[in-house]
Amino acid sequence: MSPFPDHKPLFDTVLIANRGEIATRVQRACRDLGLKTVAVCSEPDRDASYGKSADVFLCIGPSSASKSYLNKDAILLAARLTGAGAIHPGYGFLSENAAFAEAIETAGLVFIGPTAASIATMGDKIAAKRAMIAAGVPCVPGPDTALPDDQSLVEQIALDIGYPVIIKATGGGGGRGMRVVTEPARLQDALALTREEARQAFGSPALYMEKFLQHPRHIEIQVLCDAHGNAVWLGHRDCSMQRRHQKVVEEAPAPGIAPEIIGPVGEACVEACRQIGYRGVGTFEFLYENGAFYFIEMNTRLQVEHPVTELTAGIDIVQQQIKAAQGIPLELTQQQVTCKGHSFECRINAEDPETFMSSAGVITGLELPEGEGIRVDTHIHAGYKVSPYYDSLIAKVIVHAPTRTEALARMRQALADTRVDGISTNISFLRALFDDAAFAKGETDIHYLEQWLKQRATP
Amino acid sequence: MSEIDFSDPKTIAFLTEVLTAAGVDGLEISSASGKLRIVVSGGENHVSQAARASSKPAVINAPMAGIFQLRDSASADLPHSVAAADVLGFLRVGHVLVPLKAGHSGVLSRRLIEPGTLVGFGDALFEIEAQS
Repeated sequence: MSPFPDHKPLFDTVLIANRGEIATRVQRACRDLGLKTVAVCSEPDRDASYGKSADVFLCIGPSSASKSYLNKDAILLAARLTGAGAIHPGYGFLSENAAFAEAIETAGLVFIGPTAASIATMGDKIAAKRAMIAAGVPCVPGPDTALPDDQSLVEQIALDIGYPVIIKATGGGGGRGMRVVTEPARLQDALALTREEARQAFGSPALYMEKFLQHPRHIEIQVLCDAHGNAVWLGHRDCSMQRRHQKVVEEAPAPGIAPEIIGPVGEACVEACRQIGYRGVGTFEFLYENGAFYFIEMNTRLQVEHPVTELTAGIDIVQQQIKAAQGIPLELTQQQVTCKGHSFECRINAEDPETFMSSAGVITGLELPEGEGIRVDTHIHAGYKVSPYYDSLIAKVIVHAPTRTEALARMRQALADTRVDGISTNISFLRALFDDAAFAKGETDIHYLEQWLKQRATP
Repeated sequence: MSEIDFSDPKTIAFLTEVLTAAGVDGLEISSASGKLRIVVSGGENHVSQAARASSKPAVINAPMAGIFQLRDSASADLPHSVAAADVLGFLRVGHVLVPLKAGHSGVLSRRLIEPGTLVGFGDALFEIEAQS
């Protein structure tokens, strides 16, 4: 039976403009929906397993991402040559590039994601904050405008907010272009440095300022919207386990947050989506401290950690994302969204477990965990050559169990059953983390992992 | 499908960008309304560098994705001598034909792809053996 019973699909072939585990994941969702797939690759990825299982597999450029996975023209050309009617960007690469989304729609194809206008709004931190305030989403204290050039005015803003403050590039992200200022005497230098960084990294020197929270947790709310004004939120995640702003372990739901506290925040996120005409999947990221939520940014794409929400909400988020792009109305209401149990995700990276230096090479042996409540999203296999050119993520081990305690135990066993030979991985580091008492207790803040690593490094 | 206006500067700029990104040195398009030739300086077909330095046949690879076409029916007969500047075939993208130059003089000994096949960047298309 067609998965689109009452609707003529807008497309029957999806080009997946990405690589690695997410290419495999998107391909599976397309197949489940009866859609054909086009996989594209750079030269080092010619042997990728998802290439063999795609309907068409096409190399679009050399190893350099700028000439392959970030090459808009090459991807559009591949779509035209293969007759793909839609492009799924995955995450990273061009997934939050408004110009790419616009180019796809201009070419008469469907971008599986929000409109270019939504991406542009949320990519501008000030515009995003303004939109969130308008929708009633709680934000970090600080003005929703760029900082003025007048130093004395900036000093007054910082005093009004209260030190410590954080200065951020309006076009920044991923932990870059931001600086914490703890006292007035350090403000001038911090402004000059961050402005220059912002100019070089993001093409704009515009900065804004917010209250710096000292011990927050990183909490996310997953939303799902169609093109008809319907939107739901699918629960929340805790992604506080970060090293250098990179998430290492994620879990759903975020432990220790009462439904009556997070419920109104989820509803406000949904309202924000309706107000900006958001389409597809998205994630609202918050800092959470002393029982209060503070919006930091919205990610207008599928996220690496989406599986923990899939397992607790029982919803295939990638399929829903594709259906939204097809113009199909959302098939569930907020009342029908019920999150059950607890889920963890570990990112298995090809990197040294002590130094975190990337590790490339051939995987000579591989054992992956399996069993009830265990899922592995990966593209690797024995004999796979891990390329030095791209992100070090090689697999995601995800578990689900009725309670957090049981999910912790399940992940410990899953990690014990995971073996990757031939390259270095962070598996031993993850095993140690899951044996840590404070992590097991839950509710650790975003600085916990860095501190834990420092303690481990101290003889 | 609507006709592409090859006199539109935006179209020319787009094609130039695509050719530059793909490392292609130029293309020529003929249509009822005229002829467009774009020459990108510094480009060259993607040729196996290792092959240049060895006695192995040189492999001519696709500089970008496209539908592989032979230059003409006569070029289907192998082997035959070729000069470096000879066009061995084309990659077709819509109305656009991107010429595939030999890049070496020698004997065109093998064609590795059937005409009409969709090829990707770097796919091996021809082998040229050095002339003794």
